[in-house]
Formats: sequence, C-alpha cells, structure tokens
Amino acid sequence: MDLSAQLDAIETEATAAIAAAASEQDARALHAKYKSELATAMKAMGKLPPGERPAMGQRANKAKDALEKAFEGYLGGLREAAEAADLARVVDVTLPARPAPRGHLHLLTQVRLEAVQIFSELGFVVADGPQIETDWHTFEALAIPRDHPARDMQDTFYLSDEIVLRTHTSPVQVRTMLTQAPPIRIVAPGHVYRRDDDPTHSPMFTQIEGLAVDEGISFADLKGVLIHFVSRFFQKDLTVRLRPSYFPFVEPGAEVDMQCSFCGGSGCRLCKGTGWVEIGGAGVVDPDVFAHCKIDSEKYTGFAFGMGLERMAMLRHGVNDIKFYYEGDVRFLEQF
Amino acid sequence: MKVLWSWLLELCDLDRQPTVEEGAKALTRGGLEIEGMTNLGGGFSGVVVAEVVGKQPHPQADKLTLVDVITEKGGAATQVVCGAPNVPEPGRKVLWAQIGATLPGGLTLAAKPVKGIVSPGMLCAEDELGLGTDHAGIIVLPEDDRTALGAPAQQALGLDDWMLEINAPANRGDVLGHLGVARELCAVLRGKLVPPDLDLAEYVDRGGPAVEIAIANSESCPRYSARFLTGIRIGPSPARIAQRLKGVGVRPISNIVDVTNYVMFELGQPLHAFDADTLTTGVVRISHASDGERFVTLDGVERSLVKGDLMIRDGQTGIALAGVMGGRDTEVTDKTTRVLLESASFAPVLIRRTARRLALHSEASLRFGRGVDPELAAMASARAARLMCQLGGARVQGELFDAYPGKQSPVSISVRMPRVRMVAGVPLDAATCSDALSRLQFTVTGTGDVLDVTPPSARADVSREVDVIEEVLRIVGYEHVPSTVPVLRQPPGVRPRDRGDAARIALAAAGLSEAITYGFQSAERGAALGLAGSDRRSQPITVKNPMSQDQAVMRTSLLPNLLAAVARNASHGRHDVSIAEVGNVFLRRGEGVAEREIHQLADEPIWAACVLAGDRPAQLGPSGAWDVFDAKSFAQVAIRAVAGDVEIKTRATQSVPYLHPGVAGELSVGGNVVGWFGEVHPAVRKRLGVEARVFAFDLDLTKLPLAEPAQMRAIPRFPGSARDVSLLLAESIPAGRVEEVIAAVGEKLVTAVRLLEDYRDAKLGDGMKSMLWSILYRSPERTLTDAEVDKAHEGIVARLVENLPAHRR
Repeated sequence: MDLSAQLDAIETEATAAIAAAASEQDARALHAKYKSELATAMKAMGKLPPGERPAMGQRANKAKDALEKAFEGYLGGLREAAEAADLARVVDVTLPARPAPRGHLHLLTQVRLEAVQIFSELGFVVADGPQIETDWHTFEALAIPRDHPARDMQDTFYLSDEIVLRTHTSPVQVRTMLTQAPPIRIVAPGHVYRRDDDPTHSPMFTQIEGLAVDEGISFADLKGVLIHFVSRFFQKDLTVRLRPSYFPFVEPGAEVDMQCSFCGGSGCRLCKGTGWVEIGGAGVVDPDVFAHCKIDSEKYTGFAFGMGLERMAMLRHGVNDIKFYYEGDVRFLEQF
Repeated sequence: MKVLWSWLLELCDLDRQPTVEEGAKALTRGGLEIEGMTNLGGGFSGVVVAEVVGKQPHPQADKLTLVDVITEKGGAATQVVCGAPNVPEPGRKVLWAQIGATLPGGLTLAAKPVKGIVSPGMLCAEDELGLGTDHAGIIVLPEDDRTALGAPAQQALGLDDWMLEINAPANRGDVLGHLGVARELCAVLRGKLVPPDLDLAEYVDRGGPAVEIAIANSESCPRYSARFLTGIRIGPSPARIAQRLKGVGVRPISNIVDVTNYVMFELGQPLHAFDADTLTTGVVRISHASDGERFVTLDGVERSLVKGDLMIRDGQTGIALAGVMGGRDTEVTDKTTRVLLESASFAPVLIRRTARRLALHSEASLRFGRGVDPELAAMASARAARLMCQLGGARVQGELFDAYPGKQSPVSISVRMPRVRMVAGVPLDAATCSDALSRLQFTVTGTGDVLDVTPPSARADVSREVDVIEEVLRIVGYEHVPSTVPVLRQPPGVRPRDRGDAARIALAAAGLSEAITYGFQSAERGAALGLAGSDRRSQPITVKNPMSQDQAVMRTSLLPNLLAAVARNASHGRHDVSIAEVGNVFLRRGEGVAEREIHQLADEPIWAACVLAGDRPAQLGPSGAWDVFDAKSFAQVAIRAVAGDVEIKTRATQSVPYLHPGVAGELSVGGNVVGWFGEVHPAVRKRLGVEARVFAFDLDLTKLPLAEPAQMRAIPRFPGSARDVSLLLAESIPAGRVEEVIAAVGEKLVTAVRLLEDYRDAKLGDGMKSMLWSILYRSPERTLTDAEVDKAHEGIVARLVENLPAHRR
C-alpha cells in the first residue's frame, strides 16, 4: 500500500471510530492512537523522492486536520449533550424560599427615625435629656408651679418629692435653652410617663418635641413647619388646623389637629365624623419660660410643639390599641 | 364641664339662632374643645304627647285599662291597653309610644294583642323612657302643661335639648358656668350677652338680723358675702329646674339646694346655704384651720384638718370647709325655714390643696380651684336669692353683708401692634384687634401703635401683652394665620452618631425583631435575675406612686421584660422568638444605694439585649434550635455597629448570676467588659415563666467607643497559602486559648486563623478532644515560597504543642 492510500485508510478509520466512540475516555484513546499511527506513517515520508514530498506533506496534514476535527466534534457533541441535559432540569420553584435574616425595627423606631429625618430637612437637630427628671425642669421652668391646675392634666409618677418620670419631652427644651444660645432649632424624641392606662393611653409613651428660638419666629412659622411635617409623613396633601388651647409654657397655645388621613376630612369613625384628628399641642414659647432659661424674650421669640409618636403610627398604620407597642408580641412586631 | 344648649341660648342675643352643630363649631374654633355632644332626648323616638279622652276596664283582665287617647283636638280616639294603676281622668296628658316607636335598649314597638285586644303601642312609665327607675305608674304630665298634642314627648319632658361636654382649659375658671361659655359664643358669633334677671325689688324686706363678716387673711379670702332668706318652704324643684340639673349631671335634692347648684352652673359661682337657725353668734369668721382640728362634713365624715385648710366659722365653731364642702350641723334640711346664703371667693391654691388632700373633688372645689371672679359674688347672691323667693316662697331679709378686702382695681395692659404682628405672623391692624377684644368685653383705648387693654374681671388669666395677643388671635381665628417656614440663619448643630440607633438598625438587619418594653417593671420581675447586693443593678429606683405593682421599680436590665415577652409569646403558642431591645436602664447614682427615694438624677446608660428561644427560621420543617453561638454572633453585630471593626475578646465566665454557669461568656473591648452572652440560667427563666431554653446577650453600649470612619486596607495583590494542623488536646482548653497562643507567636505572615473542626470522641482518650485549625499565610509584598510558609507554620505548631500543650495528629 502506498503512503497515500495508507493515509486515506487511517483518516477514514479514525473519523469513523472517533465518531462512534462510547465515551470521552474512548475518544481520547482513539485520538491518541490514530495520532500515533499518523506519526508512524509520516516517518515513511523521508523515503519518498524529494519531488513528491510537498504533495504528500499536504496529504498528511489533511489527515491530521480531519483527525483533530473529528475529535473536537466529538467533544463538542458531548458538551452540547451536557448543556441540553442541564437545561432539561426542572426545579419546583414554588417551594418556600430559604429564609434570609429578616428582622424588624419596631414600628415606633421607624416612625421616630422618619419624623427626625423630616424635621432635620428643616434644620432641626436631635436633642435629648433624661427620662428621670427634676420637678423643676419638668414643671417649674415650664411655668407649671406646684399647685398649678395644669398639673392635674398630667398625672405624674414621682420617684421622690423633687424627682419625677418626665411627663413630656418639654424639659429637653429647658435643658437646651439653658446650655445653648439662640438660634435654636431642636427636635427631641423620647419616652415619657403618665399615670394613665386605657386603649388610647399607656403609662409610658413616646413624644417628639420641637423647639425653634430665634429673632422673628412667629406663630405662622409654627403652622408652616407642622403642615410640612404632616404632609411629608403621611405622603398626602393634608392640612393642619390649629385650635386655641392652653398649655402653660406656650402663649398663644394651640391644639394641633390634622385633616383625617383615613377619610381625607369627609368624616369617618377614626375622626368621629369631624374630619379632624388631634395629634399634639403647640404654641409660641411663653415669656415666663424664656425668663427661667435666661433668654431675652424681647429680642427672641420661639415656637414649640409636641406630638405622640404612638398616635402618628396609629393613624398611619391602623394600630388600634396602644398596648401592642410595648408587649413584645412577635405577631405584632413582625408586621412592620 | 357640661352645658345645655337651651341654657346657653337663653344667655345670648344672636342675630340668627345657630344650630347646635354651628354652636359647637364656634366654641371649638374659639378654644373651648367640645369633647362630646349628647342629644338628651335621643334615647327614644316615636313617643308623642296624647290626651286621655276616655277609659274603661279591660274585659278580660282586672288590672288592665283600655284608654282612649287623641293626638289632636277633635281627632279620632285610639284605644291603647295600659297596665298601670294610675291612668288619669280624661283631660290629662300622657306619653304614648306609638307603633314604630323605639325605646332605650333598642326595642321597636309593634301592634300586639294584650289579653285578646290589640294595643297600638303603649303609654310610657319613666323607666321605659330611660328617665329613671320609676315603674309604679305611667307618666302623667302636669295639669298646666302647655305642650301641643301630638308633639314629641321630648318637648314635654324638657329633653329636646343637647348637652355639650366642654373641656375647659386649666386657666379658664370663667368658662365653668353657662354665662362664661355664652360670653365666648357671643364673641365668636358677634352676639350680645343677656345676663340673667337679678332684680330683688319685690322680694326684699327691710331690717332683720345682721351678720358680721370677719376675714382673717384677704389673700385666702378676697371676698365673702352673705344674706338671710326667710319664710322658706322646702320642697321639690319645678320640673324645668330639675331637668336642667339632671342634664348637667346633678341630682336634684330640694328647691333651696337646687337653686345653689343651678346658679353655680349658670354663673360659675359656687354658693352655700346654711340653715340660719343653726347659727348662733352673728359672726361669720373666715380663718385657717389649726393642725389636727376636726370637722364633720355634710357627708357625715369626720375630717382631720391641717393649717392650710380654710374654714368658715360661726364665731369659733367650724361650719364649712371653705370652697370644698359644708358642715353636717348647719346643713339645710326638710325643716329649714331660714338660710344664710354664702357667696364668696377663695384663693384657688388653698382649695385645690384641701380638695386633693381629702380627695373631696366637688363641683364647687373644681370652680374655686380654677379661680372664681370675686366680682361675681354679689351678682350670684342676688340671682340665687331671686330664685329662692320664686321657687321656695322665701323673702330676702335685709341687705347683702359683703366683706371685700381683696378688691382689685382693673389693670390695663399695653399692647404694641408691631409686636402683635411679629408674634402672630399676621398683618393685623389696631382696628381689627380692638374689635376682637371688645367682642370679649375687654376695654380698649388707643388706636395707634400701642393699645391700652383692660380685660374684664372674669379674665384673670389675661395679664400680659402676649396673653392679649392670644385673645386677639383666637377671635380673629387661627385659621387666618398664614403658614410660613422659619428662615435658617445658621447651620444646624452637629450631633454624634446615636449608639442606640446604630445597634437597633444592625440587629434588625441581622434578623432580630426589635421590641420596646416599659421603663418600669414589678419588683419581682427585676429581682428575678438574682443579682448580688453589691451590683448596682440589684437596687432599682422605686416609683412612689405606681398605678399597679407592675410599675413599682425602674428597670436596671433589659432582660426581665424581654424574658417576660418570651413567656407571653409562648402562652399564645409562639415558641420561636428572636427579639432584641435597645434602650435605657436606670441606675442610682452615687451613694445612698439602699435608700427608698432618690434625691438626684439617675444614670441612664443605653443597653442592648436579645433573647433567642425555640428554632431559627427554617425553609422546610425544623431547622435547628437557636444556640449560644447565635447569641454571641448577635452580640458581636451590636458591638461592631457601634464601635466598628474592633477586637472583641471572649472569656468564659461563671459569675453572671442570670446565665448558665457553663454556657456564659464575657465580652470585652479595649480592656473593658462591655457585656455578656450565654444561656439564660434555668432558674432565672423559670422565675419569669419561661419553660424552654433561652439564649441571650446584654451589652452596655455606653461603654463602647464610637467607631471612627473605617479606613480602607490594601486589597492583597499576592496569593496566600493555607496550612492545616490537627491537634489532640485536653477538652478543658478553650478554642480562645489556641487563638491566643497563635497570636502570641507574633508571626507576621499569619493573615487568618480558622477552626475547621472541633471533634470529641471517647476514642480520643479520657478528657481529650481533637481540633483542626487552618492558618492562612500571606505577604503583602510577594508570593511566598512553600519553604517560607512551611517554616512559619512549623514554628507555630511547635509553640502550640508546647504551650497548650497538645499533640500533633
């Protein structure tokens, strides 16, 4: 058999054998085997007359290419089969998800952080003070002397004759004004305590207090800040109604009502048909408070407001009993 | 304060009569909050006034009567079956609940046969209309009743009226009577006040006894007036008076007592009537009690008095606790024919103190406690005397004896218009302000930039410029104040990061749910942790006046409330609980730890704690219980959230009484112990009602440094090489010790140390365990050769073998 016929035979046999290989391993073995057969055949090249060598060289290369192509083709086929098999997998994606850690900030924390954020956009910075307070900071400095009837409005927990659990966050106003010169713009969230316990009152609850003191601060500024807060917090164009009321540490004083977020003001059960819900108290800082805090009430004016965060959360999230906030019931905590 | 709409309207002259809703709105707008509105006749409907025109016995039953009634003159009669014994003779009026009528309790009447005769409704007794408990007979209207036939029964009963519940501001004693509320209504609606009739001309007899009034201290009692009335016939009040008193929540007693209450509600001036025949000295003395003095009030209780209490005396004998309650021995009775009528004014503080101390809160003490205008005394005395004469057949004896040592002359207040505009933020002019103020019966002079304003005597709450500004603004209407935003003139202050919030957010992100619990707890709950007496946390601050024992002490640890929450969740079937709390605890400051009261502020450090009970969240089926390493992990999360990437040292501890002695760790940062983690001591959790194991941490966040901004470290450019070492060592050697030994070698190439396996088996030998550690070596400058890595590794292994000690496996 001449060399050319021999190469033809190897090529034919190799491509057929590799194509029919039973496994990748067999294919590799066949690939190696025919590669070596080709190499052996090539050794005979040297015996050919020089004039025939280039043509025979080309013929040999063709056989080599055919072998490699067959082998590559086989591997390619395997890959395709594997890909096809992989794509044929079916998973029941309706099985439950593997739980990622999912904790919950308390609803009151979420509401507090959000409220602070809103006020901080208006230049208010957070201030705080102790929950165990002196009678002076809680009452006297806020123009509520010991026998003032307004003390009846806030039934106080006493720790001693002079030390109380603060009944409102307003002592933070006093502490701030005593340590900082105007202009002042603070917001003070925190727990407060009153001897009160029913579905809408808890012996501990959370207030957020605001105070702005500067030259030229007016009642109108108070209104603007509150309207902005309410609209931002409820993400609705809600208005605020200030209603004359009495708190000893503000004058003029006001009860703050907002347009009912539930019915939009047309009247519903939440707002008892009035279209308004009460959210807090506010007013222009009383000159007597400034006097206690050594601030010149001729030069400066200010406004203050206080709101209950439980109430804000109730209105926005439909919480219907204040006790849920403090029981640590995970069925409640995990909802928000 | 309860007011009746009809009573208010009687005191107002308005262009157009407002509806009760309009009235309520006007009062609210002016600053009197209406807390509730009750339709006094709202309890029933469909009951009409009917006249009896005939009656005959029921043929089948002795006790029943067939009554013919008409609802218009000359109309056809209807026969109603009635079981009452007091069916009146023809001509009298009764109240007929017709078919379709609804009665209190929700009953709707339908025609039904009574012993064979169908009755179209029924004739009503008091109890059936919810007016009282009387069921002895049907209501028969008085002979002189003028209500039209067929009119709603409410008209005949004086129940076509509304009761408004007003939340009077604490500084507004003047609105604790209808007259004061009417003044507000007139101011808002631009009406004219109509004072009640005070004319005594036809009732006064000259002469009669005199009384000397001796006021010991004019500050305690600025005014005391008294007058005699004689010829009194005690009896019930007429229906109109009784109905009004019931409407405002006062039980009618007798004409004389009722008049004092009526005038108090009308004018806001509490009055007291003494039986004049029980007074002997002719001197009424107003002076303070002496400590320990005893006095029997008209409720028959003997009271022990203190110096601050103010007494009214007949000579030296106490006859009334001023402004709070009268005395038993001088009370008006059925036999009274002469009274001495007191109309006075007392210092509000005294009355409040006495009422509070004796827990005697009455309508009188409420008013005196807020302050009653001394100017009102004479007016109220005249009004009450007139009514006593009209209703009780009395005659006024002589003049009003009036001691008024505390009379104040009106003080005018300067009000600067630019200041008004600045505070209000509204461009108000002088004319608008004058108008608003005169509607409130203030006197205003001046028209330019300064107004001189004098409030009426009733308005003691208005004494400063800013008070006047509020008055102007509330009458003009807060709704006319524009809304502006204050100009920010300097940057807001800078505040350090909040430790608590940093921990809260990180723990929630790590999978815990945040709880917030009360700052106080029961003493037992606090003590459940079993803290040693030397521990500050074992001496909580006590609340002097808790509402319940659950508020007895301030918390000194977050764990008791959290453990109680675990028990509570378990009680409704929720056993998998993973919650954290971040909040203040309250510790006594300094000395005096064991004292009951504190005399200074407390330390309020902010702590973080978590409790883990039951199983971790699972995809399918149970996924394994929480364990101590979860608690450790969450503790580290909280620490790093506050302090950043600090080194946290862990040491086993047996000295935390509320943690299991074998499953407890102490955490330190920078050499300070910052908290603990572990399994909650079984005895502690059982005391708090928790059955199953609980893992927990608690940390004092105030002890942690606040993280500085993290600084970037270079990303490694060269690969590292890991080497493992398997050690056989005593079970008692903690993993932390192995890490310490490795660290002590000080090999700079060590980049990470990981424990791959902690294996315990009896086959290893008694008290032995096996640990597989992997150490990563890397240089920031070059790729290490195997020889370099091996050399470093062997050095470390040799130290482990020697220092732990351990065998290499």
